[in-house]
Amino acid sequence: MQHNVFILIGFIEIALSIFMQWQNYVSNNIKTFSIQSWILGIFLMYFGVLNNNISIIILSILTILTRAIFIPRYLINTINKQIFRARENKHKVSVSLSILISVLLAIFSYILYTLVFFEFGKSLISIPITLMLQGAFLIMSRSNAYAQLIGYLVMENSMFLLSFLFNGLPFIVEAGIILDILGIVMIGGILMKIRDEDIQKEEELYG
Amino acid sequence: MLFYLSIAQLLYVIILSPLAIGILNFFNERLSSRGGPSIFQEYYNLFKYFKKQSIYPESSSIFFAYVPYMSFAMYLFLTLVLPIITAFPLTFGPVVDFVGGGLVFGAASTLIKLSALDSRNNYSILGASRSSSIGIFTEPVILLIFIMLGVISGTNNPYVINNIMQTSTSWYYSLVHLFIALAFLFVLIIEIGQLPIESNSLNELGSIDTLLIHEYSGRELALLKWGSYIKQFILMNVFLNVYTWPFFVPMKLSLISIFFYMFINFFKIIILLIIFAFINSMVSKYRLFKIFDYIAIAFSFTLLAMLVFYITTSGG
Repeated sequence: MQHNVFILIGFIEIALSIFMQWQNYVSNNIKTFSIQSWILGIFLMYFGVLNNNISIIILSILTILTRAIFIPRYLINTINKQIFRARENKHKVSVSLSILISVLLAIFSYILYTLVFFEFGKSLISIPITLMLQGAFLIMSRSNAYAQLIGYLVMENSMFLLSFLFNGLPFIVEAGIILDILGIVMIGGILMKIRDEDIQKEEELYG
Repeated sequence: MLFYLSIAQLLYVIILSPLAIGILNFFNERLSSRGGPSIFQEYYNLFKYFKKQSIYPESSSIFFAYVPYMSFAMYLFLTLVLPIITAFPLTFGPVVDFVGGGLVFGAASTLIKLSALDSRNNYSILGASRSSSIGIFTEPVILLIFIMLGVISGTNNPYVINNIMQTSTSWYYSLVHLFIALAFLFVLIIEIGQLPIESNSLNELGSIDTLLIHEYSGRELALLKWGSYIKQFILMNVFLNVYTWPFFVPMKLSLISIFFYMFINFFKIIILLIIFAFINSMVSKYRLFKIFDYIAIAFSFTLLAMLVFYITTSGG
């Protein structure tokens, strides 16, 4: 049962990250990320209740509070002050091509997994790997700094998803990751606020 | 018996398809706070066209005059072979499978495009080039959807797929089926010309499929319009009876259940039309080149369905 729920959650997350590639507006990307985190948090909650594990339930509440509510709201607030950042002006990769590439990444990670790591166990692990590659591709294919930040957060979500398949990381590590994420987003927001005066400079953020 | 049921199915589609489109137009207008035409308006239009004189362009060949009859006959043939009011094959059911049906659909639309080129009208040729360039990308998606349904059911027969979807809850609630149904919904919107792709309303002239029949008049125009209504009605039926809502379709020969199913089927269609009307009132039309992104999304859903199939059946 948990197995099927994991597949359902994983593929909904993959479909949402494909949807992110489709969107030009950064606010839509942020909302999609919020939905992704809500789904992940609810899945964590379900997992914790099922296994009667109090630390996972606390972790799910923390996830929903930070990733699904606080970070999207903070990012949307900072964007509202800088309207010119709200939209991807020019695409480095055209939209339909980037959708196709992110689907191909899914197939690639499945094939890679079956070829290389198959002895380690379940083919389910290819789902978080897919999500991670898609987050990385979101960073590479966008020049807007907010979209790149969302890409990092998607990668981090994938790590969270991956940690389920092994017997669970210690609670302190997971909570630490959430703190890290908060820090990254705050620093990112402040950095982008300082560099407010020039639109071109946002391109310095990708290396 | 089966032969008479085939005739009943044919009459059902021919008679009710303009009504379905009339209901869709009515919902569209009501949702934008206008009075809206009568739901029987399409019948009046067809009747009016049949009374009018036919005019052919001087530069067109004899082919131009024959295409409406041929395409109408092809759509009538398709009504005989798809599961519309029964889930068991009627007299002509075994003639073609899904891929064959797709080929007949493709042949009819190719004939219409050729006639548009033959009319030598600039607008028609614009429509032909647009609809064929979109068709190039949608056909592989449709083929991939059929292949995935073939993987689920082991066959390409729409009746068998309907029976499997009706009886097997594990396939019905599987993620493979969900992704395929979503992809087919995307393709269906392209094929029947609803809003994110094309809008033909009081405010604007549709610029893809509507342009193809720009040069026709009189009886030929009526047949082409009626053919396109039948095509939309059949595709909506395939979407409901095979992909998303295969329930209640009678699987055994029983006249009473088939009679009642005719009403249930039209009720399902009306629900689908309400959904389309809501989509039409919510989204705006895409720019022409944005349509290809939309098709890429549909394609990615079918590929994801394939991936889910491999992940779930390889022992997880």
